[in-house]
Amino acid sequence: MAATWFSAPAPVTRRVRAYFAPVNRAAQTPVLFDPSEQGRLSLDAPPSPWISLGWIQDFMRKPASKSAPLLTGIPAAPLEQVRETLQAQVSFQFLSWTKLTMALATGSQHMNLLAPATGAAAAADGAQAIPAVTPQSGSTSTSILLATADAAKFTAGSMIAVDADYTGQTGFVGVPIAGAYARQALTDVDYIRRVTFNVALVTQAGATGLTLAEPLPGGAPAVGAKLQVVTGFVDREGGSFYQEWSALFVMQGSQGERIFFYYPRLQTMTGAEEAITPLNGKSQNGQSRVLLKGQFLALSVTDPLDGERVVCYRSFLPAANALV
Amino acid sequence: MQNAKDSFYMTLRTRLTVIDPERTILLRGSVRPGILVEEAEAPFSQFPNDVFVLRWLGMAADMDLASTMVAEQCEIVYQTCGTQSFGGLDRGRALSAMDQELMAMVQPFYTPKLNYVATPPAAMLTQVFWDEPVFAPIVVQRDRLSRSASVMVYSYQEQGE
Repeated sequence: MAATWFSAPAPVTRRVRAYFAPVNRAAQTPVLFDPSEQGRLSLDAPPSPWISLGWIQDFMRKPASKSAPLLTGIPAAPLEQVRETLQAQVSFQFLSWTKLTMALATGSQHMNLLAPATGAAAAADGAQAIPAVTPQSGSTSTSILLATADAAKFTAGSMIAVDADYTGQTGFVGVPIAGAYARQALTDVDYIRRVTFNVALVTQAGATGLTLAEPLPGGAPAVGAKLQVVTGFVDREGGSFYQEWSALFVMQGSQGERIFFYYPRLQTMTGAEEAITPLNGKSQNGQSRVLLKGQFLALSVTDPLDGERVVCYRSFLPAANALV
Repeated sequence: MQNAKDSFYMTLRTRLTVIDPERTILLRGSVRPGILVEEAEAPFSQFPNDVFVLRWLGMAADMDLASTMVAEQCEIVYQTCGTQSFGGLDRGRALSAMDQELMAMVQPFYTPKLNYVATPPAAMLTQVFWDEPVFAPIVVQRDRLSRSASVMVYSYQEQGE
């Protein structure tokens, strides 16, 4: 059967969507994105472990690699080019404030504010917390089974953090998402739950357990995991930890074409910063939206195809029937 | 261009039947979804209430592209006096309901382009796409509230168009 075709002009898009997936920090293994197999992914339901962060704005890619000519002869003239440095940066603004967007937009570790114990001494990143409770076997990523006495400690609308007790380990903390790097043994048994990304909103609290609005990013609670109420989030300017994630940015064209920017390893490169945007451009003194600004440095990986070191892959899936 | 206009209208009409199946109009002896194209009907002395009326206005073309892109401005006009059962006191709510339906109808902001001259309609190669609607202020005429929303509709000209 013959196919008809059309000459497609440059893609027209409305906005950019962002997806992030955790890099295995200990093994320095990024999450792969294969456009040949995953290029037609559902933008609303990306394949695991990619997490949709929704629309972003002011998406800017800045290649910072430098090339230099190899000069020969008299007068000297370029004979070849060599790549002196390999570097790229990405910046954009998140349109929502969530655990993950806050973490990505801060230059350091991001922590959960655990519900404080009665009478606990004040601390800038959260006082000593109410002791954690243990989920019962049979819990899933969206349903936490609890003993009746423990279930009574939670209410619908509260947030929870689910992860293991801290037992003095050093190095990257948090599985499968590293939330911090412990340089020395700490004393806070709740430390992992303070930095974990395994958080969720409780939609129903009953006598036998909790129902969650969204699945826990880490899946069903692992053996040894416990949960605590989270009241909010906090991050700090300073520290030595850098967030590192694999990132995928998608532009969906008006004709169904797709442009992908896949960064295997992105590290946050600036401290926490916000952008203030008036809701009504004609009234600068009116209500304003506070957006999280993210700026990232792309780290290199070695492409197993040919051993080249790269920092980003740009893919294009043309529209159906478009001339190539 | 006509294919793009037809596709845009038929898409909104199809979506409206899902969003609000009860919004209908008796027109030329048949009950239809409550959305129509002004230029495809007999002239109105006054637009019907509780119905979306599409009116095509401005047009522009970019002929420097690999395929000519045409932009057409569609004004969507709607008005209401509320319901008799509430003596028209619900006219503000009725207009808000139509605002909401229009916002739902235009999403997603694209649709395949079809040739409705053929029966059944023939799929073409490109898609029609549009911007978010720009809503105008409410106009009050006695007990009638009306509003218009402007949508810029884009399409690429294909061979034979």
